[in-house]
Amino acid sequence: MDASSSGIQEPFDLIRLSLSERVFVKLRGDRELTGVLHAYDGHMNLILSDVEETIMIVDQVEGAPEGHATVNVAKRKMEMLFVRGDGVILVSPPSRT
Amino acid sequence: MSFFGFEQNNDLENEKRRFLEGGLSGAKQEDVAVYTWGEENYDGLGDALLEGGDELNDETFGATGDIGKDFDFSGTALPEHEKAAPSQSAHLPQTGQSQQQPSQPSQKASHLESPHSSQLDAIWGNKSPFSVLPRSNGSSRAVDQLATQSPKYTHKPASLNLGPDLHKGVHTLEEIEKEMLAAAAAQHRLQQQQQQQQQQQQADEHSLQRELQQLQLQEQMLHQQHQPASPNLLQSPTRAHAQRPPVGIQHTATPPPRMHPHSQSPRFHQQQQQHQIHLLQMQQQQQQQQRQLLELQEQRERQQRQQLLQLQEQLKLEELERQQQQHRLQQQQLQEQQYIQNHLIHQRGISPALSDLHHRGLSPAMGERARRVGRQSPAVMTPQVPLDVPFAQNMQYLPQNIQMQQRLLAEMAQAEFLSTMQGPGHSERDAREARELQEMLRVEAMRKIMEAERMEEKRKRKLDKIAHMSRYNDLMTQSDKDFITRIQVSQLVTQDPYADDFYAQVYGAILRSRMGIATSEDRVLRFGSGGGVGLGLGQKVPGRRQSAMQRMEAQVERIVNNARLREKEKTSLNNLQGALGRTSGRSYKAAPRQLLQVDTSNASTSPTTSHVTAAHISKADSTKQEGEGAAREAAKMGREALAVATEGLVRREPLTHRETLVKLEHLYDLVLDVEQRRRDQPPPEEVEEFEQWTTECNAIIDQIFDELMVSEPLETSKPHPFVSLITPIKGKKLLPRVARIFELQRMQVLLTLIVACFLQLDVVTQAPLLDTLEETREVKELEAQTQAFQNSVVQSILPVIAKAQMRLVVGLFGILLDECTIQTLVMTRPGIALLTLFFSRVEVLRHNVATGSEVEELPTPEEMQRWHMMYNLLFDMLRPHLQLLFPSVRLALQANTTFVNIPNADVMDQPVWQFLATLAVHANEEQQQALVTGLREIVLENVATATKGWGNDSEERRRLRLANVNIFLHALGLDSSQITL
Repeated sequence: MDASSSGIQEPFDLIRLSLSERVFVKLRGDRELTGVLHAYDGHMNLILSDVEETIMIVDQVEGAPEGHATVNVAKRKMEMLFVRGDGVILVSPPSRT
Repeated sequence: MSFFGFEQNNDLENEKRRFLEGGLSGAKQEDVAVYTWGEENYDGLGDALLEGGDELNDETFGATGDIGKDFDFSGTALPEHEKAAPSQSAHLPQTGQSQQQPSQPSQKASHLESPHSSQLDAIWGNKSPFSVLPRSNGSSRAVDQLATQSPKYTHKPASLNLGPDLHKGVHTLEEIEKEMLAAAAAQHRLQQQQQQQQQQQQADEHSLQRELQQLQLQEQMLHQQHQPASPNLLQSPTRAHAQRPPVGIQHTATPPPRMHPHSQSPRFHQQQQQHQIHLLQMQQQQQQQQRQLLELQEQRERQQRQQLLQLQEQLKLEELERQQQQHRLQQQQLQEQQYIQNHLIHQRGISPALSDLHHRGLSPAMGERARRVGRQSPAVMTPQVPLDVPFAQNMQYLPQNIQMQQRLLAEMAQAEFLSTMQGPGHSERDAREARELQEMLRVEAMRKIMEAERMEEKRKRKLDKIAHMSRYNDLMTQSDKDFITRIQVSQLVTQDPYADDFYAQVYGAILRSRMGIATSEDRVLRFGSGGGVGLGLGQKVPGRRQSAMQRMEAQVERIVNNARLREKEKTSLNNLQGALGRTSGRSYKAAPRQLLQVDTSNASTSPTTSHVTAAHISKADSTKQEGEGAAREAAKMGREALAVATEGLVRREPLTHRETLVKLEHLYDLVLDVEQRRRDQPPPEEVEEFEQWTTECNAIIDQIFDELMVSEPLETSKPHPFVSLITPIKGKKLLPRVARIFELQRMQVLLTLIVACFLQLDVVTQAPLLDTLEETREVKELEAQTQAFQNSVVQSILPVIAKAQMRLVVGLFGILLDECTIQTLVMTRPGIALLTLFFSRVEVLRHNVATGSEVEELPTPEEMQRWHMMYNLLFDMLRPHLQLLFPSVRLALQANTTFVNIPNADVMDQPVWQFLATLAVHANEEQQQALVTGLREIVLENVATATKGWGNDSEERRRLRLANVNIFLHALGLDSSQITL
């Protein structure tokens, strides 16, 4: 479907489509969120509910060769979350099977 | 003044002053030696001085060597000085210096024994606040000031002992020791002392004159031609003072009688700066030749005589005073040690109350002098702090707290004195009580003082802060402020203030209605046709904030009106009048890109499109989209016409997820618009407006109905577009809002479509996923979807079914029986809910038949016949799976456990029990029997666990379990209590 027929004119239109849908948000600082989008604004501040945050913690092991860092994943869940827009890298609908 | 070399021959005044100062005749002054480096009559001998090798001259420039105890004034024992002073003076004639010693020990001695001593003592003991205040000119006052000032030098006496004095002092001290050993000439000593005292006074006065002269010389220095090697020795007394090296033992060992050859001349009683220079000269002499120095001094004296003649009374009083002070500073140097260490205490006898106060402040025990000294006020004990300023005039700049402290101390002393006066001659006990009382009073006074100080401090800090902040007062002009306000307001103005402020407005309306304030109007500031500012919640509290709000409103209105006026002027043709040639409407510089672009064409149609900048799914877009869609469908139609020519409908792909979302967003826009319009409903009296409003509303409602795609044929796609639309949660949640807008007929169409497509619903197709105990995200998602379906969709079709006639119910039921496999349906919560709704409605209708009410809804016998037939069919379908209707049973089968162990089973099973109850109501005897036998096991198990508490369940759960069973049993006319286990 091309952009004109779907009425998509600017990127925020795509985000608007995901209102009250579950979205995947990538954040700075190796963080990712999935949650239900309730609101957003021009700064990409987001209100999410039922959020699961995934934090990637890269540990460079002593003596290990370059690029052989271990990645630890920390997760936490929040009922409601305000995400400040300056940390948002990407907002997308979750991949559908 | 003779700053410019002008001489003022004001002899008379000069003489008068000298007389007032108790000075001696001017003749003596003529002999005062003056260093005239850099002056016109300088003989240039200074150049001949050997200046090199000073870095090795420790005696002059270094601070090496053991100076000895003689100069350690900070810690000397008093008796030695007391003895030293007289002996020194006694010894002086022997060394040929008897006339020229304003030496410190003698000064000290003279002060100690002179009537001045009491005065000085008084100064030391003077704890009144005025003692630290600057004093007027006058010798006695100056002495007072010096007395308070001088302690500054107690900690560095060596550096402040000016040269010649020091030299002589050292000299005499040595002599003193000899004298002490000799223990002779006591009478002579006394005589000498008096003599010395006289001389000293003379010296003071002379030195003053000298100082004046010196200053005069300095001023004239530029005009004088003889440049000495080290002019700054004379140029600045203070500098010379600073440069004065510590004078070593060497000088004491070799007293220089030749230093002042004109020993009888009164000019030897010189002011200290002069002596300093003398000392330096002397040191140079020792390094060089005596003759040279003698010549130099002679020269100097000559010059000074000349200068003296020229010298007039040109100096200000301050200068004079300063000279006196400086001179007396040196007098103090020796005295202060005694004062501090010894006499101070005695002297405080002058102000006994205060000393007593000090004493008490220390400890109740009396007579602890050492500690008393330790508790002296800072002004007394640490004089170097306030006395850092060398001049008495500067005393007024002392920190105020010292003044205050002293004042307070004086007050306290007075209070103490009074209290002690009250009880003379009392007994010991009384005295103690009085002391206690005094102590209390003192503590109280102290507390008050501290409090006052704190308050003062606080107030001061506050004032400081205000003063600090007030630096920025009036930095912005009113137009600056207006400009910023304009910017801020421009961010608030929108085309649809109500919608932009929607939540605050609605919440405010709710609050107002709750509080009983009937104000239906919106808290919105509108500006004519378009634009406005939402004002948020109404202000409850009148006051400053409200007035500020009103001001803001007025200001905003003014700003907007001005802007509009300007815009109008710009667009009108008037401004083109008189313009020749081409007129550019706008220069690019003047018109930067607008940040806030409000699309006015859109504003009237939709409230959301106006405020959401992202709202580009506008009407125009959608019509365009529809146009393209139509074209595509036409093409598709052409293709399909070839294949399925007989079918009269257009088949197409089901809506994609994104298409669904796009359509939903547009639907939401439309729904919001309608809701807004309903709020803006004009009064029915205004017929024209009302009609227009009605038609507009209806047009939008029609559009919504179209876009819901409810009237699309069932076979259009699978799933049906409408099913796609209600697949997302927001689609499901849209239905109740749509249901409020649509009339019944449209809702019935909608209901029919839902029933017809029931098996296509996501909540039905995926329902088996829910029969699991796992808590995956999919399960939770589906659970949420199911919940939303039950709450939104079922709730919105409930009133439709509740009003449905038998014909419709039978028709819909027929659709279910025909189309769907009942087995799937009854295993889902939405299916159970729907069937329950139908059975309930039919039961109500049958009840109506029995009672004869609601005649117009009465089902026809044919419909009833059909219903029974369908019911029997359904029952037969359900009969083998009765137990599987329960989610808990299905879960138990999966988990290989009994259903009673399934957590939360009762809540899950409740709809099923309700469904079975409605089923039982319609069942005939045989069917009821079948129901009982089919469910017997479960009923018994439930009743048993509920009544006997086998399953460790809580009271609440058991009650719920029993209630569930009873719902079903009551429908059969039974009760759980009848069941015996």
